[in-house]
Amino acid sequence: MTAYNDEIGLRSLYFNLPVGLSMKFFLTIVSLGLTTSLLADDGKKSEATTFNVPYRLTATQHVLVRAKINGKGPFNFILDTGAPALFVSTAVGKKLGLTADKSGWATLDRFALEGGAVVIKATARIEDPFQLEGMNGLGLAGAHLDGIIGYNVLARFRIEFDFTKDKLAFTALDYDPPPPQGLGTGAGAAGGLDTMAAVMKFIGGFLGQKAEPEIILPGFFGLQLSEAKDGVQVKSVLAKSPAAMAGLQPGDRITHLQRKKLASAADFRRQASKLPAGTAAQLTIVSHEKTSEVTVQLAKGF
Amino acid sequence: MRRNFYSFAGLLLLVLPSWADQKDTPPASVPFELLKTKHIAVKIMVNGKGPYRVIFDTGAPVLLLNNKIAKESGVLDKNAKPPLFSLFGAAGEAKIKTLEIGNLKATDVPTIVMDHPTLELISKLLGPIEGIVGFPFFARYKMTLDYQAQRLTFVPNGYDPPDVMKTIMDTVMAMAGDKPRPPKVLTPAAQWGVLLDKDDKDLDEGVTIQDVLPGSAAAQAGLQAGDRLLTLDGHWTDSLADAYQAAGHIKPDSSAPVLIRRTGREMELTVKPQSGS
Repeated sequence: MTAYNDEIGLRSLYFNLPVGLSMKFFLTIVSLGLTTSLLADDGKKSEATTFNVPYRLTATQHVLVRAKINGKGPFNFILDTGAPALFVSTAVGKKLGLTADKSGWATLDRFALEGGAVVIKATARIEDPFQLEGMNGLGLAGAHLDGIIGYNVLARFRIEFDFTKDKLAFTALDYDPPPPQGLGTGAGAAGGLDTMAAVMKFIGGFLGQKAEPEIILPGFFGLQLSEAKDGVQVKSVLAKSPAAMAGLQPGDRITHLQRKKLASAADFRRQASKLPAGTAAQLTIVSHEKTSEVTVQLAKGF
Repeated sequence: MRRNFYSFAGLLLLVLPSWADQKDTPPASVPFELLKTKHIAVKIMVNGKGPYRVIFDTGAPVLLLNNKIAKESGVLDKNAKPPLFSLFGAAGEAKIKTLEIGNLKATDVPTIVMDHPTLELISKLLGPIEGIVGFPFFARYKMTLDYQAQRLTFVPNGYDPPDVMKTIMDTVMAMAGDKPRPPKVLTPAAQWGVLLDKDDKDLDEGVTIQDVLPGSAAAQAGLQAGDRLLTLDGHWTDSLADAYQAAGHIKPDSSAPVLIRRTGREMELTVKPQSGS
């Protein structure tokens, strides 16, 4: 954190590790970030409307949103009033060719949140706050984190958080937030916190985990099903769908999928969700009292 | 219900507790102090003691009180000693019986007790900061944050925040086992009738709708082969995985807006997918 010397990045993931493999996790994160540098003014407003911003909660109970920078992305960010500014990881900075000035600030032409909220000419720190490194090392968020959205972006909106809903509401304010001021202490990162990220990264390596699990996109059949006594019944088949190509017809009964017996339509969905697009799915069907095997070439889509 | 009054004297002094039950309370409006560092500071009452000045932090998955106020408010026993191996005097987890912010009163809020070095540093420079209020408190409310008005509002929403320690433990345990991490299956919740494609070299936004099956929900909504799907229910669909994930939220017979680009023009259509695989 050299270019950031008199800034205190806090967002500390604290862990009380040891105890063999069954590590006992202790504290998580607190996120505060202070800055002593004077920030440049941030730029222009977004239109005065309300945007519904999709989010999800990570295992660490952080609010994760997606954003595009200059049309590129999306990247994963945590919403954090404990951060004084927008932080973008050095990896993303490099990928997008973002250049920071001497004091570590870059200007993003366009910072767009999923759901439509946009900040033009947003200033950002291009650096890797150690909390992110720690969380990424352990894969705790369930997604790779690319940065933190703090005060200088948050203050441009009135933000409604309601975790009973699937989106946050961002209402653009006609407000140019005054930049964070420094404390002028010249103090470095609060003692001991930086090492936490190193420890967590180390543990992450030890666990051999990647931040992101493998993703399966189940293949598309084009079937509507209903329950039947033995297996499931085809209620309808979408024209030109993989199921239609395989010759399936309404009234057919499917008894097996991939040679596994089907107990219900829910059972079919469960088995089918394990079959990625591109799979040649084997179905045993009973059509006009004749049993046969058909192959459905599962498509990408839904 | 008693009216709150606030006094501003350079610093913000908060708010008397009210006796009202939180379920019947109208939206509680809590002014906040914006520290020089742009942290949000509010005053809280802990088990009737206080007020204490703390930082309000959406990025904090826990509440945190320092040892001093934890003992003063009875969250920790006065004679409690920190455990033998303890970072920053961390005394572990505890419960706050009543936590009040403005006229809000939350009960049984889990907290961590420790002397956070950063808080100590801020306290030295900007006056006492005794803790942090985060997710386990604010998640119980529909909460609005307005820096311009320097105000938070809270309406109880019935949300029961999961225990962060437990979710983290579960995640870590799942990772620490011998088993490989299970793949993430993105199952669409309903049948649209669209075939999608995007090859690796295609870095433009959206995914291409390769085909729209006749008679399907997508066809009825007016989607056409060749359309570029940009968003589905407000979610970006820049990859097949994103499109699948967004479709995972849309139940059969519910309506979802989609934004598409067709011959250079963007348009929004509404799709009402049906049940099916």
